[in-house]
Amino acid sequence: MIEVEKLSKVYGTTVAIRDLDFCVPTGEIWGFLGPNGAGKTTTMRILAGYLRATTGTARIVGYDVHRQSLQVRQRIGYLPENPPLYLEMTVEGFLDFVARIKGVVAGERGTRVNEVLKKCQLQEQRRVLIHKLSKGYRQRVGIAQALVHDPPVVILDEPTVGLDPQQIIEVRHLIKSLAGQHTVILSTHILPEVSMTCSKATIINRGSVVATDIPTAPTISSESCSYELEIQGDVNLILPRLQTIPHLTKLHYQNIPHTSRFSLYLKSESTPEIGADVARIIVGCGLDLLEMRRTNPTLEDIFLAIINSES
Amino acid sequence: MFIKGIIAIFRKELQGYFFSPTAYIIAAFFWLISGFFFCSILDELIQSVATQEQSGFLVSIDVVYEFLNSFLGVIIASLLLVLLPALSMGLYTEERKQGTLELLATSPITNWGVALGKLLGVVTFFTFMISPLWLYEIIIFSVASPAVTFKSILLAHLGLILLATTILSLGMFISALTANSVLAYIITFILVLVFWLLAFIGRGVEDFFRNKVGGELGERLGFMIKETLTHLAWVEHYQNFIKGLFDSSSIILFLSYILLGVFLTAQTVEALRFQRK
Repeated sequence: MIEVEKLSKVYGTTVAIRDLDFCVPTGEIWGFLGPNGAGKTTTMRILAGYLRATTGTARIVGYDVHRQSLQVRQRIGYLPENPPLYLEMTVEGFLDFVARIKGVVAGERGTRVNEVLKKCQLQEQRRVLIHKLSKGYRQRVGIAQALVHDPPVVILDEPTVGLDPQQIIEVRHLIKSLAGQHTVILSTHILPEVSMTCSKATIINRGSVVATDIPTAPTISSESCSYELEIQGDVNLILPRLQTIPHLTKLHYQNIPHTSRFSLYLKSESTPEIGADVARIIVGCGLDLLEMRRTNPTLEDIFLAIINSES
Repeated sequence: MFIKGIIAIFRKELQGYFFSPTAYIIAAFFWLISGFFFCSILDELIQSVATQEQSGFLVSIDVVYEFLNSFLGVIIASLLLVLLPALSMGLYTEERKQGTLELLATSPITNWGVALGKLLGVVTFFTFMISPLWLYEIIIFSVASPAVTFKSILLAHLGLILLATTILSLGMFISALTANSVLAYIITFILVLVFWLLAFIGRGVEDFFRNKVGGELGERLGFMIKETLTHLAWVEHYQNFIKGLFDSSSIILFLSYILLGVFLTAQTVEALRFQRK
C-alpha cells in the first residue's frame, strides 16, 4: 500500500533522510518511530505530497508521490504535526470545506461529514467555532479532516503530542479503530504509543532506517528467555545449584538494601524453558520465592539497543 | 475537479471576508471616504457650471466625463492604492501562519486552482465593496440631461475592476512570498506605487539618458525605455476606460498582469515543496 524506495531529502548541506526503504501492507497501523530530529516529519511530508524528495520516490496505492501527486493526494488523509485548521470556521463548516477540496461528491458530503463527526466524537461541537475548542478537540478535528473523504491511506504525524493522558487514550482508541479499513502510518517518538496502537513499526535514526517490520506486541521468543526473581534468604545456598542448569547464559544477583532479600536475574539461550527448574531449586533449598517473572524484550529494549549500537 | 476546487476555495474565501472584522473596517473606511468625495466632487462640478452660466461665459463641458475622471480616475484609484494591499495581504500569509497551506498543498487541487479561487473571492468582495457607488451613480446619472450612455459608465467600472484585480493579483503573489502580513502590505504598496508612477518614471529615465548619456544613442535608448514603461503603466489604460474608450490592448494588458500574478503565486507555492530550509 505504501512503498518507500531509496527516499532521500537534503536541506542545503543537512541530510534529513537518507535512502529510506520500507513497505507498509494494506490495512496495517504502522508505527514510524524515531528520536526527535530523526527525519520523521520530513518523511511524512514527502508521503503526503507536501515536500519533494531530493532523490528516490514512494508509491501510495500504486501511484508515485512525485509524478502522480494529484492522484496520491486524492487517496490520502494527512494530519500534520500542527493540525491545519481555519480557526474562524465551525467544525462542521471546516469539515465540509475539506470534503469539497478533497473531491467528495455533493450527494455524499453530508453523510461523510456526519460519519466522521460521530467517529471522532465531535457531534456536540459541530457548530462550535474551532478557535473556541481545546487542544484535544482540535486534534480530533484534525483527525476528522484526514478521514472525511474516506481515504485508503492515512498519514498521522505525532497525533498525540500535547494532549492530556485522557485525550491520548481517546485518540489512540480512535486510531486503532481505523485498522482494516485504512492503512495508517503514524510517526511518533513515544514508544508506548507504538506498542499500544500499531501492529508493526519502522525505526529510523538520524535519517536512516535502522529496523523495519518490527512486531510491536510482546512476543514469546522461543530462542531465549530471561527471568527476574525476588527471593528472601541466603543467596549462597542456591547459587551452586543454579549454575548447573544447562544453557544458562547469564546469572547475576543484587541485594535489596535494608532487607534480607535479593533480586536475581537469569537468562538462558535454549528450549526447554528453565523456569520450572529454577523454582524447584529455590523452594527445595528452603528459600522464600517472593516474585518470579518472565521478561521478553520490549520495543523499548530493541529501540535503545539499536540507537546505542548506532552511536 | 479543477473547477470544483476553485469553487470550494472561492466559497471559503468569500465566507472569510464576510465574517472578518478587518474586511468590514476596510469597507467602512472605503465607504466613508468615497461617499464624502462623491458629494464634494459632484457639488464642485455643479457649482462651477453654475458660475459659468451666470457669467454668461459658458464653455461646453462634459459633466459626466469630468465627474468620472475626478471620482473614479483620481479619488477611487488613490484609495485603491492604500486599501487593496490590505485586502490581499492576508491571502497566503494567513495560510502559512496557521499551517493550513499544508492542508491545501496536500489536497487534490492544483496551485493554480487555489490561486484562482482566492483571487476570485477577493475580487468578488471588492465588487461588493464598490457596489454602493453604483446606487449613487444610478441616482445622479438618471437625472442627467442630455441622457448618459450607460456604455461609457459600464466601461469605466470594467476598467476599475480590471485595475483592482491586477493589484490584487500581484498582491496575492507578494503575500505568497512571506508569512508576515505587514511586510506583505508594505511591499505590495510599494510595488503598486511603482507601477502607478511608471509613466512618470519613464520620463525621468528618458531625461537621464538624454542629459547624462547624450548623443543619438542616449536619445534613442531613453526614448525606447520611456515608451516601454509607458506602455506597461496602468494609468493611461485605466484612463482610456474612464473616457469610455474600448481598447482591446488595455484589456489584454490588465489580463496579462492578472495572469502573471496568478502564475507567480502558483510557482511560489510550488517552490515551497522544494524548500531547503
